[in-house]
Amino acid sequence: MPFRELNSVQLDTLKEVSNIGMGHAATALSQMIGQRVNLTVPNVTITEISQVPEHLGGAEKMMVGITLQILGDARGSIMLLFPEESAHRLLCSLLGQQEKGLVMTEVSVSALKEVGNILASAYLSALGNLLNKTLIPSVPLLAYDMAGAVVDHALIDLSQSGDFAMMIETDFGGEPDQDLAIKGHFFLLPDPVTLNIFFSDVGGAV
Amino acid sequence: MSTRVTIAQVRIDQSPAVLKAYGLGSCVAVALYDPEARIGGLGHLLLPNRPKKNALGSESKYVDAGILEIVDQLVQAGANQDRLIAKVAGGANMFETSYQTLIKSIGARNARSARATLASLGIPILGEEIGGNRGRTVEFDLATGNMMVYCARDDDQVSI
Repeated sequence: MPFRELNSVQLDTLKEVSNIGMGHAATALSQMIGQRVNLTVPNVTITEISQVPEHLGGAEKMMVGITLQILGDARGSIMLLFPEESAHRLLCSLLGQQEKGLVMTEVSVSALKEVGNILASAYLSALGNLLNKTLIPSVPLLAYDMAGAVVDHALIDLSQSGDFAMMIETDFGGEPDQDLAIKGHFFLLPDPVTLNIFFSDVGGAV
Repeated sequence: MSTRVTIAQVRIDQSPAVLKAYGLGSCVAVALYDPEARIGGLGHLLLPNRPKKNALGSESKYVDAGILEIVDQLVQAGANQDRLIAKVAGGANMFETSYQTLIKSIGARNARSARATLASLGIPILGEEIGGNRGRTVEFDLATGNMMVYCARDDDQVSI
């Protein structure tokens, strides 16, 4: 199903499904870092592939990206993006006092990947329960570079089936008034064929 | 004056314009230039080859079709195809190499497709900055035909 043909009921369905999944993921993250984690209602955007880096705050913004493929009964990928300051704060809460800026060592890479793994697993297991499907995350992969460079391989998969990407984006952060909030973007990039599975199973069918 | 070339886009312009492509990961930027007419084009290309049938969406996301499109547009704008030279950057593998099979190393395939397409057109590649695992931003200066390649992560820049 081409993304452009989704109607508002279907978009709402995707939002709600994502909301439930992200709720589980945020709980997992909050337990891991011992802080409250707030999240915003997910935003479903259908956008031209060329505009995706703009939605992330510009192609040259430095980001840590963690990507996992969805395996099992549905296909797609998950991309978690942390602006570098947030990745640094996350590492401070996980590993204690860190260097001043973000330094990628074996330990910090591994810790960030583990965050990705936990968030994606919590999300996919909630989603899988809802859809009655088995959804398994692959091994996480990590890149620390310009936003455009980090996301383009996720776009490559999508671009084989059209010029549009669907981003289900949720921002999460710590206490809202703190300067030290950890912010991140969570993207679900289902492959277009997989969308049909979502709708036939959650009742948002056409 | 600089113009931005976003993902899956090709653009041509003439001296003294500068064409820029930001944040290339496994994408490749292919620049073509006619040094006498001082016109050139830049493509920010995503996928290696246009499928023979059932190609969906724009042509300019494919490396092979995108290069042909730039050549067509340049020739229409007064360039001579025999004088064209090329520079290629990008084609990295952003997510570490130990899991190459998972992501099929699309960057290397993009770079290979760019070389093959340019060779089949008889266009020489005068500069390359491809592969590795770092993101790049390129600026292609149509006054000189120089391409500056910047890497954000290690504050590195080269001119090709």
